[in-house]
Amino acid sequence: MKNRLMIRLFLCLALIQLVVPLSMIARREFVLRDGAQFKFKVAPVDSYDAFRGRYVALRIDENYVPAIKNEKIKRGQAVFVVINLDAQGFARLSEVTTGRPRRGSYIRANVSNVYNDKIYLDLPIDRYYMEEKSAPLAEKIYQRYSQRDKKDAYVVVRIKDGFVVIESLYVGGQKIEDMVKQGMKNPNRLGLRGIR
Amino acid sequence: MNKASIRWLYQELPDLIAKGILTKEAADKIQQHYGEVKNVTKTTATLIILGILGSLLIGLGIILLLAHNWDQFSRFTRAVLSFMPLVLGQCIALWVLKNRPQSGAFKEGSATFLSLMVGASISLISQTYNISADAGTFILTWMFLIIPITYLMQASLPAAIYLIGITIWSGIYWDNPLKAVLFWPLAAIIIPHFIWTLRQEIYVLRTAVLSFIMIICISFAASFSLGKTWPGSWIIIFPSIYSIFYFLGWLKINKTTTNWQRPLRLVGAVGLFIFAFQFTFRYVWQYLGAYSYGLRDFSGISALPDHIITIAVVSTAALLFYSNIKRKHLDIALFGAVPLLAMIAYLVKEQSVVFPLLIFNVYLFILSISRIITGIRSSNLAVVNVGMLMLALLIIARFFDSDISFIMKGLAFIIVGIGFLAVNLKLARSLGGAK
Repeated sequence: MKNRLMIRLFLCLALIQLVVPLSMIARREFVLRDGAQFKFKVAPVDSYDAFRGRYVALRIDENYVPAIKNEKIKRGQAVFVVINLDAQGFARLSEVTTGRPRRGSYIRANVSNVYNDKIYLDLPIDRYYMEEKSAPLAEKIYQRYSQRDKKDAYVVVRIKDGFVVIESLYVGGQKIEDMVKQGMKNPNRLGLRGIR
Repeated sequence: MNKASIRWLYQELPDLIAKGILTKEAADKIQQHYGEVKNVTKTTATLIILGILGSLLIGLGIILLLAHNWDQFSRFTRAVLSFMPLVLGQCIALWVLKNRPQSGAFKEGSATFLSLMVGASISLISQTYNISADAGTFILTWMFLIIPITYLMQASLPAAIYLIGITIWSGIYWDNPLKAVLFWPLAAIIIPHFIWTLRQEIYVLRTAVLSFIMIICISFAASFSLGKTWPGSWIIIFPSIYSIFYFLGWLKINKTTTNWQRPLRLVGAVGLFIFAFQFTFRYVWQYLGAYSYGLRDFSGISALPDHIITIAVVSTAALLFYSNIKRKHLDIALFGAVPLLAMIAYLVKEQSVVFPLLIFNVYLFILSISRIITGIRSSNLAVVNVGMLMLALLIIARFFDSDISFIMKGLAFIIVGIGFLAVNLKLARSLGGAK
C-alpha cells in the first residue's frame, strides 16, 4: 500500500522532472522564433565546463552604459538594458532602466560593477558551446582574424521580452562552425597549420 | 536494545537453556519479544557499494559523452536527445520501485543514476541553447529536481549529491551573504532523511558516509555564508558548529561502536582541538578582523539572516553543552566548551591579548590531562595516547613561541612541570588507594 503511494508520488516527480527541461526548451524556442534579431560584437575565448562541455566564452565589446544620474545602481542589481543599433547595424547597449521599458528591445541583466560613472553589465550572452575539438580551434581562428584585419567576430541573438537566446557565432562574416570545418580540412589556407 | 546486543542474546539462548537458567518457553518468548534480527551480510554491503559506484560511473560517463557536444545533430534532435538519459533514469527507478522495493542496493543505485541523469538533461539543454553561465540557477534547478528522490526511494546518495550541490551553490554566492545564507534552510530539507538513516541500523556505512559529507559541506557552507557581517565572529561560529557535531555524535540514537563509524564525534573532537590549539597563538587574536574575508558593510535587514543563523548555531551549541553538564557528562562537556571559552576570550581580548592566550593554554592543558586520566581510569591506552599527543603539541608550540620572553617561558614550564609531578603523585596515590 505504502509502496503504491510511493510509486504515484514518484510518477508526479518524474512528470515535474520532465516539465522543467521542457519549459526550458520551449521558452527558448519561442524567442528563437519570434524574437528580434541583433548582432553583438564579441571576442571569443576557448573555455571548459565539466558538465556542459567546451565552449567559447564570449566577451561583448563595450559591455557598459553611462551611469544614471540621481539613481543609485548597486553591484549585482537586476536591471533592464535597452538595445540600440549603431551605424554599422550592430547592437549597442544604450542605457539601463530599473523598470521594464515600454517599448524597444531590452535584455534583463545583472550589474557586474559600477565604476567611473559607468555601469558594467553581466549580459546573459557569455557562452557559445561547441564540439570539444572545435572550441579551441574557433579561438585560434578568431585570433588569426583579429590580428590580420579588424576584429570582426559577432554573435547573432534573438531577444524577446528581455529574454535573450544565442543563435550563432560569426567570424569574418562566416559561421564559426563552417570556419572550423574548413580549418580542419585545410589548415594551411587559414594559416592554422600545427594547431590541431 | 540495539541489534548487536540482541544478536548476542540470541547466541547465548541455547547455552542458557542447556544450563537450565531459562526454560525453552521463556527463550521462545524472548525471541518473540525482540523479533527477528536481520543479518546484513558483507555481501549485501558489497552489493550496495558496487551498485552505487557502478551507477555513479555510468551516470558521469553519460554526462561526459553529452559534454562532447555532438554539433552535427540538429537542434530538434538534440532537444529530443536531452530527454533520453532522464527518461532512462526514470524508467529504471520506476522498475526498481515496483519490483525491488525492498532492495537497498537497487534503490541507492537507481536513485543515484536518476539524480545524475537529471543533471545530464539540463546540461544538454544548456549546451544546445547556449544558456548563460549562471551556474547558480543551473545547480539549484538540478538540486530541486532530485531532492524528492531521496524521500521517495529512501536513498542517501541523492541527499549527498544535493548537499554537495547546495554547498557549491552557496560558494558561488560567497560574496553575497543574503543569498549564501539560504544554504541553511535548503540543507534543513535533508534533516528528516538524516534522522531516518540514524534510526536505521541496516547498514552503518550509509550513515557514516552521509555524516562525513554533511560535515564537509556544512564546514564549507559556513565559511561561505556566515560571519560576513561581524568581524572575527568565525572564532565563535566554527567552534560552535564543531561542538554541535561532537555532541550529536554522542547522542544515544547512534549506537555504533568504532570511531570510524562515528564521524560526527571524531571530526567534531579533532576540529575542536585544532581550533583551541590555534587560539593559543597570538597572531589569531591580533589579526582577528583581517581573517574575515569577504566582509562587507551589511547593516539592518540585510545582516539579519546571517545573525539569526549565527545565533541559532551558537545557542544550539550552548544548549547541548548545558544538557551534558546537567547529565554530568563532564568529559563530553569539556570538549564542547571551546565555543563558550571563545566567546569569553572574544569579549576580554580588548583588555589584553594575553587573556585569550591564557584561557586556551590552560584549557588545552586541562583537556589533555583529563583525557590522560580518563584513559588511565578505563585502562584505555588509545585515550591516554591521544591525551599525551595533545599535551605534547601544546608544549612544543609554547616552547618555540617567540612572543613570550625566555624568563616567562622558563618559569611557566617549570610551574607546569611541578604541576605535572603533583598530579602524577596524586594519581599514583589514588590508584594505589584503589588497590
